[in-house]
Amino acid sequence: MDRQMDSHEQIRKLLALAVAGALGSEEEQFVARHLEICDECSDELERWRALAGGLRRLPTPQPSAAVVERARAQAESRLTEEMEHVWHRVVMLSLVLYAWILTSLTWYLFRLITGGLLARFEPGFNHSWLLFAAFTSLVWATGGVAAVLLGRHRQQERKMA
Amino acid sequence: MGLENEVAQLRRGDLDALSALLLRYQNRLYRYLLRIVHEQAEAEDLFQQTWVRVAERISQFDMRRSFEPWLFALARNLAIDHLRRVRPSSLDEPAGTTESDITAGERLASNQPPVLDGILERERAERLASALETLPVSYREVLSLRFEEEMKLEEIAEVLAVPLSTVKTRLRRGLERMRLTLESKYPGEDWKGQN
Repeated sequence: MDRQMDSHEQIRKLLALAVAGALGSEEEQFVARHLEICDECSDELERWRALAGGLRRLPTPQPSAAVVERARAQAESRLTEEMEHVWHRVVMLSLVLYAWILTSLTWYLFRLITGGLLARFEPGFNHSWLLFAAFTSLVWATGGVAAVLLGRHRQQERKMA
Repeated sequence: MGLENEVAQLRRGDLDALSALLLRYQNRLYRYLLRIVHEQAEAEDLFQQTWVRVAERISQFDMRRSFEPWLFALARNLAIDHLRRVRPSSLDEPAGTTESDITAGERLASNQPPVLDGILERERAERLASALETLPVSYREVLSLRFEEEMKLEEIAEVLAVPLSTVKTRLRRGLERMRLTLESKYPGEDWKGQN
């Protein structure tokens, strides 16, 4: 009798979880077996089901169209900004990479044309020096463009903040 | 366009995908926020903040995960931060296994007279909503996510960032408290047959 009462009390504690679909399979079977022989607990389960059903059917409050529209506008603006931010980062990285490649290339070209650093003292030095200067200028110009882009991007960020 | 496609497109910065997702979740997200903060103006403000946060963080979203818990977790974090600033007392954790909780459970387990019978649906809904509002935030949100949003327990655990066992405990205690509130406010009324 006592064991039956214990089981009864245990089941009562599980009924709320049962209507929330939060029982494990063993617990579910335990509850189902008990409900087959206990009208009292079956009634109790019905009460929990009614409460759960009521919660499921609560009216859904809706945001006004103006609120949704404002949310959309703000989110769109931020998304556009984020995408620009990503694009700027890609451009910046590409430019830096490009600048490094050019710099390395310049060095190898310089060596190829002059035959080494000491060759700059040879008669062909003037011609090689011009090539080197042109490449270096290109590298610096690339860096300059990157700096300008970065500056403009930061300016935009400050404005948005 | 399915949900996964919309999320993938949004990650690429597609504004149409943003609109589609907003349309898909606007009512549910707003309802969840309203359940947490109660105040319409605050819920509206948080609703807007949530979508801005989505735009900011979508590039970090892991496509292998489910979008819905991620979205609701963003909203919840904003709402909880807001409550922490504005009404910190509303975030007081309900006692774990206090006397009052045990008493509530035991009282419900005893033979109570039936409650509520033959009441108009709207009136019942108002009473339920009002009883829901009296619960602490941690119970309110878990009931809302389970019964209104129909989320799986695992998803709820993800939104709340708590273990599954905590979700179950909050569900049970939330339901018990709610029923106790209804029975004490409206004694003699029966919910049976209304589900």
